[in-house]
Amino acid sequence: MASELHFRVVTPQKTVVDRKVASVQFMGVDGSYGILPNHAPLLTATKPGIVTIHELDGRTEEMLVTDGFAEMRDNVLSLICEAGELAQEIDLERAAEAEKRARERIAERNRIDINLPKAEAALQRALLRQMLGRRRSGTGHL
Amino acid sequence: MANVKELRIRIKSVAGIAKITGAMEMVASMKLRKAQAAAQSLRPYTAEIRNLIDHLAEFVGNDASLPLFDRREVKTTGVLVISSDRGLCGAYNSNLLATFHEFERAKLAQNPGHRFKLYCYGKKGYHYLYKRGYQIEKFFVEPPLDKADFAAAKMVSNVLVDAFERREVDEVVVLFTEFVSVAKFVATPTQFLPIGDIATGGDVTPSGQKQDYMLEPDPDTIFQRLIPRYLETVVYDAILESQASEHASRRMAMKAASDAAKRMGKDLKKVYNRARQEGITKELLDIVGGASAV
Repeated sequence: MASELHFRVVTPQKTVVDRKVASVQFMGVDGSYGILPNHAPLLTATKPGIVTIHELDGRTEEMLVTDGFAEMRDNVLSLICEAGELAQEIDLERAAEAEKRARERIAERNRIDINLPKAEAALQRALLRQMLGRRRSGTGHL
Repeated sequence: MANVKELRIRIKSVAGIAKITGAMEMVASMKLRKAQAAAQSLRPYTAEIRNLIDHLAEFVGNDASLPLFDRREVKTTGVLVISSDRGLCGAYNSNLLATFHEFERAKLAQNPGHRFKLYCYGKKGYHYLYKRGYQIEKFFVEPPLDKADFAAAKMVSNVLVDAFERREVDEVVVLFTEFVSVAKFVATPTQFLPIGDIATGGDVTPSGQKQDYMLEPDPDTIFQRLIPRYLETVVYDAILESQASEHASRRMAMKAASDAAKRMGKDLKKVYNRARQEGITKELLDIVGGASAV
């Protein structure tokens, strides 16, 4: 039995991850999933959140994904989402800017007709990015 | 000699134009490469989404309400016209708009009262259709076409889906230029809504390998979430293909223009040399004539 799992993260921009790993943790719409090699076939919708990848050599790596889908089949776990980036790729400045923009939008919602859920989702993404980025560079408080 | 001077100016300006078209040709090939790369990296995503849909379709119940698959009598067609923002790209836009008229005629032949609602992406198509008095529901300006990313495609797709769900239009067709090869692009109207090319529930021909999936939440819910994603990829793909076609078309047009300018420069140079020689000969004759007169 192979004790490795093929893990892929596919986004419209690029295939972010495509390699063998030991296990993966991600957020489904109704809870957290931990996928080990040879997991039973699974198909679920995912929430924006942090994905923890346990590498074959024992290290862990974290990445951020937006909402999408996860499919487990034939020992291949595919996350299909609109955006995904590894922790070291996160641009903290951009995330901070996005946070500011989203907060402004939420504050202004009475004056301008805007899509509140959309702004809130944007804020959530920005916060997640920052959290993950800071944790990576060791300046966060988590 | 005024004639010689005029010719010299002409030659210079033709050479200048050749330089500009040459530069535009190079820029277009760069942009073409970029657009092709973007289309290339979209492919795995599209394939995965398609793959998920195919797997899920078998699980979707027959009684599930799928408004986006709903076929109704078509009185109004929504057309998304993806043209270009810029000109100087050969027959790219005229081909596209000719295809639009063809499509329009075919619909009107079936039903003279058929109505169209247009959604435009790209300035050229918008200006053309607007001037001719078509009803334009929406003209997407932001982001400009050459900066259109997946988020833009998502927005466009949402607008179209909304219009379909609110029954403002009974079908949606995307009119874009398919990129066949660097020398061939075909403007094609493609059915967008209702979704026709995906079978669901009992219509699915069993693949015989219906996997025993764990599905969270239930298949219908996942499917409902999946469909908009699928439509977004269709729009994004159409945008990218259009862009690739536009740049390829511009490159060809600019290459033809550069070649023509070079040829013209050569011809002008010949005429110029002859005129110059004539001038010299005439002057010599004058001198000789003048000398013999003394």
